[in-house]
Amino acid sequence: MTKLKLSGVSKAYGATLALRRGDLALDTGEVHVLIGANGSGKSTLCKIMAGSVRPDAGEVLLDGQAVTVSGPRAAQALGIGIFYQELSLADHRSVAENICLPDLPKKNGFFVDREALLEKAGRYIALFERVAGDSLHATATVGDLRADQRQLVEIMKALATEAPILIFDEPTSALDRAQVDRFFEILRDLKSEGRSIVFISHRMDEIFAIGDRVTVIRDGETVGTEAIADTSPEAVIRMMVGVQETLATPQAAPPSHEASHEIALTVEKLTGLGFRDVDFEVRRGEILGLGGLHGQGQSALLKALFGAPPARAGQVVLNGQPLRTESPRAAIAQGIAYVSGDRGRDGVISGRPILENVTPIHALRNRLVLARPGPLSEKALPALKALNTKFAGLSHSIGSLSGGNQQKIVIARWLIDKPDILLLDDPTKGIDLSAKADLFALIRRLAEEGLAILLYSSEDAELLNNADRILVFNGGAVSRELSGADRTRYNLYQAAYEAA
Amino acid sequence: MNRVLEIAKNPLLIALVLIAALLFLGNTLSPGFASGGQILRLLIVAALLGIVAAGQNLVILGGREGIDLSVGGVVSLSAIVAGNVMNGMDGGIPLAILACVATGALFGLFNGLGVTLLRIPPLVMTLGMLGVLQGLLVVIRQGIPSGRAAPALSEFVTRPFLLGLPGIIWLWIGVGLLMAFILHRTVFGQRIYAIGSNEQAAFMAGVPVRRMRVALFMLSGVFAAIAGLCLLGYSGSSFANVGEQYMLPSIIAVVFGGTPLPGGKGGYTGTMAGAVLLVVLQSILTTINIDESGRQMVFGATLLVLMLFYGRGRGLRA
Repeated sequence: MTKLKLSGVSKAYGATLALRRGDLALDTGEVHVLIGANGSGKSTLCKIMAGSVRPDAGEVLLDGQAVTVSGPRAAQALGIGIFYQELSLADHRSVAENICLPDLPKKNGFFVDREALLEKAGRYIALFERVAGDSLHATATVGDLRADQRQLVEIMKALATEAPILIFDEPTSALDRAQVDRFFEILRDLKSEGRSIVFISHRMDEIFAIGDRVTVIRDGETVGTEAIADTSPEAVIRMMVGVQETLATPQAAPPSHEASHEIALTVEKLTGLGFRDVDFEVRRGEILGLGGLHGQGQSALLKALFGAPPARAGQVVLNGQPLRTESPRAAIAQGIAYVSGDRGRDGVISGRPILENVTPIHALRNRLVLARPGPLSEKALPALKALNTKFAGLSHSIGSLSGGNQQKIVIARWLIDKPDILLLDDPTKGIDLSAKADLFALIRRLAEEGLAILLYSSEDAELLNNADRILVFNGGAVSRELSGADRTRYNLYQAAYEAA
Repeated sequence: MNRVLEIAKNPLLIALVLIAALLFLGNTLSPGFASGGQILRLLIVAALLGIVAAGQNLVILGGREGIDLSVGGVVSLSAIVAGNVMNGMDGGIPLAILACVATGALFGLFNGLGVTLLRIPPLVMTLGMLGVLQGLLVVIRQGIPSGRAAPALSEFVTRPFLLGLPGIIWLWIGVGLLMAFILHRTVFGQRIYAIGSNEQAAFMAGVPVRRMRVALFMLSGVFAAIAGLCLLGYSGSSFANVGEQYMLPSIIAVVFGGTPLPGGKGGYTGTMAGAVLLVVLQSILTTINIDESGRQMVFGATLLVLMLFYGRGRGLRA
């Protein structure tokens, strides 16, 4: 029996169509897995069900009745509870308060009923009794807990809504084996009570262990729904990849450039926040892609190579010399460049002239004391031209430019004095197509000039089309290296989704 | 129309118009208020405030809630140090200058280290430092004489030196040129704006954010100390808490001059106009017999009204 049905749901953010045609039929008493590559639209679909995003079009039927999920409170009233992937806990409050936050037990209609609160929270904590660890108790402060315990509290918070429909968006990423097993037992109990569960995970083994049915989303569209019993991990990945690549065809245009044999950067057993034991080499002239799902350590690794913050263990050798990465300043001095996709946070010096946004690296590397507009402009203009940057004048504020042109300015600052290594951390996030094309043309040119380039992109196509080799990250470690004809979407997904 | 509005919103212009209006008002209330000699006297007082505000300006421009509440204490301490070192003799002036600059730099260094290494918010750090300085002043006053200004110093501050203007006015003009040069023609100046407008981006571009911040607090201390030295020359002898009156006005002058408290934009030219404006306002209040407590209230209220206009929130819309 269908409990919740979404049909033809769409959502656009500005010009970006996040979800084109989302369909999902959730049965009573099933665990329904939702799967799709980065940016395929599955998170948007979940947010629509949970009421935190309003769809532009489409229909939502609950028990056969058309409903409008106008907000998180409305979702709660309709009996839809959600576990958020980005933890939504209040760090300074107790475990009990966090678990019961969506619906605090009250006394006299106003005051929090403390006994009822502890009793209610206690019931959910008891569910994970043997696997949660002693430090997770009702009165513990959430901020003091370990990452896995925090994730368990978030799970308990979702369970405590007692909602007939529960959505879990990547609930197991921080949990250990025993905790996952216990969580799955609980999910099976809920299922037998007749509750409906939407489950998002990137671990194929988990999906096949707990799911009853799987719905695949690709490019904002629901591709199909299969019973888990009738399908296989390979078949699911093929659905995610799409028809055009089911035969694992190599990329149409393999990058023609041949990397020289000179090794620019060697990384050995590098371990830091979010990645561990990463080994690789990059040669001059090579574009090395870092692939996989979001947040598997790619971005953290690039930041660590730039010293923001440095890695905890391991070794990095640049041109035969050990690389010191105590700070970005030190990294820059040794010839490392880093471009962040979050330009508003890490790149743009807002409210300042374009010239000042292009020249800080030049000033640093040449230890300039005076900032003379004339000579600096002469340095800045060729760098901006190399990227086809459109701007009215160097003295204009960077804020007057479009996002794509702002990012070009931030990239141009590394082109005046050429670095040895260019780290690109999802550099095309939120910029227009023509700016992307300009950027990738430049990247290839820089590689041909002898730079070694590390590229992380949240768009798999960018990696497949531009990287000479791809390291697929999974759970903070490199799970596979793809080069030559192996650089296919199928192989990329398979490496990204297999058990870490 | 928009252009007119744009010009009308220029803080420097607003300050200049208000100065003219206040001078006119003062002259109406008390004829002779806007006479040449009187204006010169006001400019001398404004120069003292303006030099303190230069350091305040740098700290505020650097962002991250940057503010220096200890400037008043440094001014007082510097005046006492200078008075004791020179003790009424011209020959002691070079050493007194050195001692003052060192004193200011030292307390600025403490402020800077407290803010960067110990991560104490500037408001709390410099307020605490002000407390330390005030206590120190009480102790010093009991132990040693307050000291006297050397004649040459008094002359520098009060007597015409060049083109009918005393040395301190020329010093202030020099400070103004120096500030403009630092802020607009040096990499250091660009980095001040960079850390003030987006500290994270500045850090990722290799700006030594902590060292910059320590340097700004040290400069603030040095400017306050120089003002303290000049204040000794203005009043002849130093007395404790002579600098207390500079804390609030130095902040108001900066904000009025178009540097918002979140930092990252603005400059020193507006601050100079703000300093003159405040001194004229203070003088008018004195003319109409409003006492010190009343003047403090007016200044406090002025700062609050300014906050209302310039806003504390996002002062940095690009």
